[in-house]
This record gives sequence, C-alpha cells and structure tokens, in this order.
Amino acid sequence: MDAISTLELGKTYRSSLLRALPPSLDGLSLSVHENEVFGFLGRNGAGKTTTIKILCGLVRQTRGEAYVLGTSVRKRHARRHIGYLPENPYFYEYLTPRETLDFYGRLHGLGARERAVEWDKVSELLDLRDIASQRVREFSKGMRQRLGFAVALVGDPKVLILDEPMSGLDPLGRRSIRELILRMRDEKKTIFFSSHVLGDVEQICDRVGILVKGRLTSQGRIDELLGKQDNLVEVILTGLPAGVLSELEARALSARLSEAGHHLTFRDKQAANEAVRLALTQGGSLVEFTPLKESLEDHFVKAQEMIS
Amino acid sequence: MRILAVAQNTFREAVRDKVLYVLLFFAASTILGSKALGWISIGQDVKIVKDISLAAVSIFGVLIAIFVGTSLVYKEIDKRTIYTIICRPMARWEFIAGKYLGMALLLAIVTAVMTLVTTGYVLSLGGSVDATFFQAVLLIYWELLLITALAVLMSSVTSPILGALIVFSAFVVGHATTILIDLPDHFKGTWTEFVLTCVYYVIPNLSNFNIRAEAANGVAVAPAYVLWAMAYGSVYTIMLLVLASLAFEDKDV
Repeated sequence: MDAISTLELGKTYRSSLLRALPPSLDGLSLSVHENEVFGFLGRNGAGKTTTIKILCGLVRQTRGEAYVLGTSVRKRHARRHIGYLPENPYFYEYLTPRETLDFYGRLHGLGARERAVEWDKVSELLDLRDIASQRVREFSKGMRQRLGFAVALVGDPKVLILDEPMSGLDPLGRRSIRELILRMRDEKKTIFFSSHVLGDVEQICDRVGILVKGRLTSQGRIDELLGKQDNLVEVILTGLPAGVLSELEARALSARLSEAGHHLTFRDKQAANEAVRLALTQGGSLVEFTPLKESLEDHFVKAQEMIS
Repeated sequence: MRILAVAQNTFREAVRDKVLYVLLFFAASTILGSKALGWISIGQDVKIVKDISLAAVSIFGVLIAIFVGTSLVYKEIDKRTIYTIICRPMARWEFIAGKYLGMALLLAIVTAVMTLVTTGYVLSLGGSVDATFFQAVLLIYWELLLITALAVLMSSVTSPILGALIVFSAFVVGHATTILIDLPDHFKGTWTEFVLTCVYYVIPNLSNFNIRAEAANGVAVAPAYVLWAMAYGSVYTIMLLVLASLAFEDKDV
C-alpha cells in the first residue's frame, strides 16, 4: 500500500465573482511509497501547496481522488495518520511551546498522560526545553520552524507532509531540518515534502516528483530520472595534430578551447573512448575524461521548458 | 474534548482583544453614569438606573458579540493558524462549535460582570434587585447567544466589516420586526410587501428577549414565558450554527 496516492487529482479555484480560474492542479496522479522521503518539486505557483492542502483536508479537490495510507482524504480519519508542517507556520502568539503542543495533542484526541509523554519525547527531539516557557511571539523563524515540526509530530503520525520546510532558514537551520527528516525516515515514517530548492532535495530524497503548471511531468528515483538521459562525456586533450583535431571536432557534439586544452563532448562513453584512442595513437595527450551526468537542476529546467 | 480545546483557546484569545476592554469601559461608564438621568426623574432614580444598566448590558454585549464574533473564524484563516488545526482528525463543525462555545463563555463572564456592577450600584443607591431583574439578564444573555451564532455564521462566509454590518442590521431589525408587516396601504399586494413579510418570518423577533421594562418596574414575569423565549432563541441559534457549519464544511482555507 502506498503512503500517499492521488488519481487524476484536479483543483480549480473560483474567483470572488464565482468565475473559474485556470486549474491549479490538472490531473495529478502520483504515488509515494511507505518509509521513503519524497521530494515534491515545482516552481512557485506550480500547485505544490494546493496538492498538500488537499491531502491535509484544507482544500477540497474539484476532481479526482487522493488517499493517505489507503483512506480517502475526504474522510477525517485519514488525517489521523498525517503530521503537517505548513510553509511559514503560524501559531497562537500568546502560547508557549508546551501549551501549543498540549493544544494540538487535545485536538488529536490524546489524553492528559499521553500529552505529557508526547511533550517529553518531542521537546527533546526538537530541543524545545530551553524555550518551553517563552511565548511564540518572541520566536525567531528557525524556532517557529522547530515548533512547527514538533506540532507535526504530535500524535506520532506515519506520514509527514512538509510544505517548504527549509524555506527562509539559515544554513544551520536547513541542516537541522534535513537531519530531522532523515531521522524520521529511520523511524519508519514517510516524508513528503515540497521544495524548490533542488540541492536539499538531491541530498535527502529517495524519489522525486516534478510538478509544472499543475501537471506532474515526471516521478521516480533521482538516478533513474537522470539516467534516462544520454550520459555525455567530456574529454580534454592536448598536443593534437591539426588533422586529428578537425576529425575529432567533427565527431564531437561540441568543442571549445581553454588553457587546459581542447574540450570535446561526446554523446556516450564509447564515442569518447574511440576519440581518446585515436588522439593517443596520433601523439596527443589525455588531460581529463569526465562523464557529464545531468543534474537534477538540468532535468528540472528541461521539465519546465517541455511544458512551456 | 476537541471542541473544548478550541473553546478554551478561543476564550483565551478573546480576553486578549483590546476591543473587549474598550467596550467594557464604556459599559461600566454608562451603568455608573445612569444616575445622572435618574436625577431628572425625581424619586425614579433606581428604576432609571436599572433600566439604563440593563440596556447597557444588552447593547455592549451585542457590540462585543459583533466585534469579536464576526472575526472569530475569519481571523484564523487570515492568520493561517487554522492550517494546523483543520488538518487534525477533527470535523469542521467541531471547530465551529468550539469557536462558538468559547465566545459564549466570554459573553457569560462579561454579562455576569456587568450584572454584578449593576447590582452593586443599585444596592448602593438603596434599591433592590428581584427575580425579574435576573430573568431579564438571562434573556439578554440568550439574545447574545443568538447574535453570536449569527456572527459566527458571518465570520465563516465573509469579512469582519461586512459581517458586522449584517449582524448589526439584523439586531436593529430584529428589535423592530413589526415595522416589516405594519405597512402603509399602498404597499398592499406589492412585491415589497411579499419580501418584507418573508423577512419578518425569517428574522428572529428579538423583542421576545426584552423584559427590561418589567425588570425596572418590578413587574413579575411568568417563568414559563422566560422558558419559551429561551426555547425560541435556542431554535434560531442551533439553526444558525448548523448553517455556519455547512458553510464552513467545503470552504477552502
């Protein structure tokens, strides 16, 4: 069973004059496996937050269906399994972290003893004890994010849905959130998080989905997605006789000259090997042989261009 | 449990609203200043104090219900605090019920405080308060519960300013429903008469909660009437809360 699955999910908001706007989400079908970190990528306005809001019961879809651990998100029971961290989370400013967690524990249906246990566990994990009696209004962005993460963990949900969890954080804050996400995966939870920061995604995600203008253009393991592309190879050669150079330039996809030598890009390893062999037999020297792996960023940009 | 958690939090938030204290200040000033009008009517000062004080409890209670109530749900959406609440395994009607109960608790305390101030003031003037006085307070509170239910409905469908205007209009019209059917002859058989008659039957007759004159004059009111008025108010209140829950059920937040 998938932790999250959506089938032809669509959402069209209406303007205040009840006029239909262009669809924010257009036939989204994706599946997130249990106990994986899934990165949901897309530019601002691509439909990431709308998808997340549908999964968390904040917004109703206009078509299609979405399930969390096999239960339709239309049923409130589905939300028992979800821990949600909104982008820039807001809490009651006059509460302390302990009161905040107690409030959400009550909303989750936890008894007084369970809430006390929950506080002990979560406050230690998120390092909230030092600020337990401070009011939320005095919190920095990073502290709010930590509290938001703690709130998402109340009730020990199996699926964590995080909307731009690293947005606006400093490098240390980002790192701490990344470590938390990986720790949650070790605790057998499923983590579904949206981001437009590709570096974060590349570091911690098992699989990704790319959303462009409300449509999913690709989903899968990062190495699979990137492996589907041709693996280009760049070689740098020096000391090439003029005839050989022109022969190799004709075979290469691109060629340029730098201080290091002649940079020649070939479509695959075999073509590059043949070129190097020819160069070496003709008195040339090999400086560098680099397989050019497509980055997630290249893939992301291609996905945008494809839809445009 | 969940409803109580939301109610408790709503109460905690409402007591931090500065509007509440401004209105309470004016209410206390009106109650304590009512003696000034009592001087004009010689020998009637306690009666006037009671009458004006009960009117102040009603009007300032309604203003609190309107100003705090019409922003209850709207503020949660606007400040995005609702995101982490609605995503919990709770029904949306539980949220509405919790917000309403929190407000009802606040109004109960506000009404009790204003009643205590009035009672103390009347006693200090050598007057006395009887059962009818407290029946009048009870019905004022019941009216506030109805007005709050309308404010919560407005809060879940529109902005606080528009909501406040609608609720205040309903309050004014609700206290003068007879003007909707006592129309001049040239309205007979017109669409205007039809529409106003419909409004007459839809809008609650808030005069049913008004026994302030009886309370000021020490005229007894039958408990059966008080119970009937409470039942009348409860039916409207429940209907408005059901409407608020339905309106909020499919709202995108």
